[in-house]
Amino acid sequence: MAVEQVPSTPVDAANDTLSKRPLYEGSTQYQHWRFSPEQLHKTREVLNTDAIAAIRSTFEADSPGSSSDIQFLTYEEEILLVKLYVTKITQLCGHFRFPEEVEATAISYLKRFYLKNTVMDWHPKNVMLTALFLATKTTNHPISLEAYTSNIPRTAPSDVLDLEFLVAQSLAFEFAVWHVHRALWGIWLDAQDLPIPVPPERLQQAYDSALQYVGTSRITDAEFLFTPSQIALACLSLADHDLALRWATAKGVEANMETIEKVAIMVTRDGVVPSVEVVREIDRRLRLCKNPEKVVGSKAYIAKLAKVEREAEVKRARKAEEIRKAMEDGDPFGSELNDGARVIADLDEDD
Amino acid sequence: MDVVEKANAARQKRWTKDRKVGEGTYAVVYQGREAATGRKVAIKKIKVGQFKDGLDMSAVREVKYLKELAHQNVIALLDVFSSKTNLNLVLEFLDTDLEMIIKDRSLVFLPADIKSWMAMTFRGLEFCHRNFVLHRDLKPNNLLIASDGQLKLADFGLARDFADPGYKMTCQVITRWYRPPELLFGARYYSTAVDIWSVGCIFAELMLRTPYLPGESDMDQLKTTFRALGTPTEEDWPGHTKLPDYVPVGQFPKTPLRELFTAATADTLNLLGKCLIYEPRKRISAKEALSHPYFFALPYPSHPSKLPKTASQLAASRMAEEAETNVDMNGPGPAVKAAPPNRLKRKMSGDDIGRSVARKLDFSQPAAA
Repeated sequence: MAVEQVPSTPVDAANDTLSKRPLYEGSTQYQHWRFSPEQLHKTREVLNTDAIAAIRSTFEADSPGSSSDIQFLTYEEEILLVKLYVTKITQLCGHFRFPEEVEATAISYLKRFYLKNTVMDWHPKNVMLTALFLATKTTNHPISLEAYTSNIPRTAPSDVLDLEFLVAQSLAFEFAVWHVHRALWGIWLDAQDLPIPVPPERLQQAYDSALQYVGTSRITDAEFLFTPSQIALACLSLADHDLALRWATAKGVEANMETIEKVAIMVTRDGVVPSVEVVREIDRRLRLCKNPEKVVGSKAYIAKLAKVEREAEVKRARKAEEIRKAMEDGDPFGSELNDGARVIADLDEDD
Repeated sequence: MDVVEKANAARQKRWTKDRKVGEGTYAVVYQGREAATGRKVAIKKIKVGQFKDGLDMSAVREVKYLKELAHQNVIALLDVFSSKTNLNLVLEFLDTDLEMIIKDRSLVFLPADIKSWMAMTFRGLEFCHRNFVLHRDLKPNNLLIASDGQLKLADFGLARDFADPGYKMTCQVITRWYRPPELLFGARYYSTAVDIWSVGCIFAELMLRTPYLPGESDMDQLKTTFRALGTPTEEDWPGHTKLPDYVPVGQFPKTPLRELFTAATADTLNLLGKCLIYEPRKRISAKEALSHPYFFALPYPSHPSKLPKTASQLAASRMAEEAETNVDMNGPGPAVKAAPPNRLKRKMSGDDIGRSVARKLDFSQPAAA
């Protein structure tokens, strides 16, 4: 699914210090969250098709024929909805005065979540809140859950916590994100030391404006397709093309400007917040095609709960049987030390 | 079932828990196996449900950093899965830790052994620092030892990324005896140098076989430190009196390290001294340390497989050997868990003969290097 890692010669880990592989390539972001445009497209298409098939069969199980006139969301529509909630994260971060790192991380989490899940199962309205709360913790800016939810209207602590495990799992517990704004900061520091000096006012202006474009880039798929430094340079080139070119030349990477151009086009083309009307229409249809198993109180929801409970009951019975057997078979002096330990381990296992 | 749930269930099936080996306030550790291969693993089950703020910070930190850091001298996180309200970290199984080895009085450390452990510690730490990660809890107990002798940095529950300029960090980190003076004085802006100080304390402990700076309270820690290394002057450490929690704790003279570490070579003391420089900006970095003459002088570091092992480690590897080969008819048989260390010594190779001579490192004689 993710970009295949370039087969490198097996490096003796002790020799790591000597190897020339960029650190970035050791990151989970590079290994698991970067795609070719085709892969990204395919991933979403398959996810969407599978989700529709699953939800359709749930509807049919509930009452046959009920799914025939339902208009399920396309994956393009799913993306539009997620995009809107990306902008909500930015608003919330402004409200809480969270640092940029929290905002950028939460947005990456939200977007990554929907490469594994569909909005028809989990509405981004809730996932967004959980992604942001999780991001405050993973970036070392923790806030108590109470302080968090009491500042967001109509939100209970359970709304955030109930999804935390699901979000963490969907991210494959890969919490580290390499950010574009950091790469931009690095380029900006470098740019202050170009062979032909640039006036500080111009640098500052270019940086401020580039930072705006970085914000815009977060609404797009750029982070799944390009490296943080490519996106950062593209943002700088949108702000001050000549400056970006001078930096690239000084670094000897001007050959990459072609790729940078592609990123810049993507940022301007896709970095548009969808209109409220469009999203409202999607949301209206979502209410009808939402997975009934996730709607509290519905027949399908109750059926699913019962199924989970039945399975747990079977497991409990099996364990109880094992314990009973162990007691019966066991030597009263406990000679079977290993088996005994086994049972204790099982007993403690509440999973 | 959702795709994500399915993937999680599949992960869970890959591992089995065999027995409980430890329990802490927030986690239970099991010894387990990979179902397909039988490979031994440790499974750390973190109870999540009990925290009102959800996934707790140390779990988040540990998972975040171990997911990114793949290095021979950093413990490997093999998998993560969740079960109901628990988070399970599957870690590579490691036999023992440096604290147990230091405390095992039947073991003799050669200078080459200490050099080997130090090299592995610095390698692991350099990798963390290169990845912008501060460990913030280095101590012998968190340096785990694999069956092949490799040392691995573990317990990333207090680790964090370098803070951005202007953002404060907490100074309530690092176990007291290994905590540098800048943290004791309440510094909220600090760097990789905090970990280096800890490594310096571990280095000294390996030579002394007892903790180097065992303070009884935070205040006493400063006193103990200054008693050992002398009270810093403004010249040694510019600006330290302006740190938030600065308090004068008395004037102690500087005594050369040589007085305590009588058997150590000049290179050894030079590196130790550079790890314990008061001014954090002048303290040696992990990268510089790896190029320090100490590591290139004789004796060369011991090969990890030749390092001293605790009796339980030897028993474990012996049992594994027995399981693979024919049962030794002259041996004590499978019922005996651990053979006495003396018996096991006979299994050692020729390089180890010197070990049976002295029970302790003798500091009264200069080293033969």
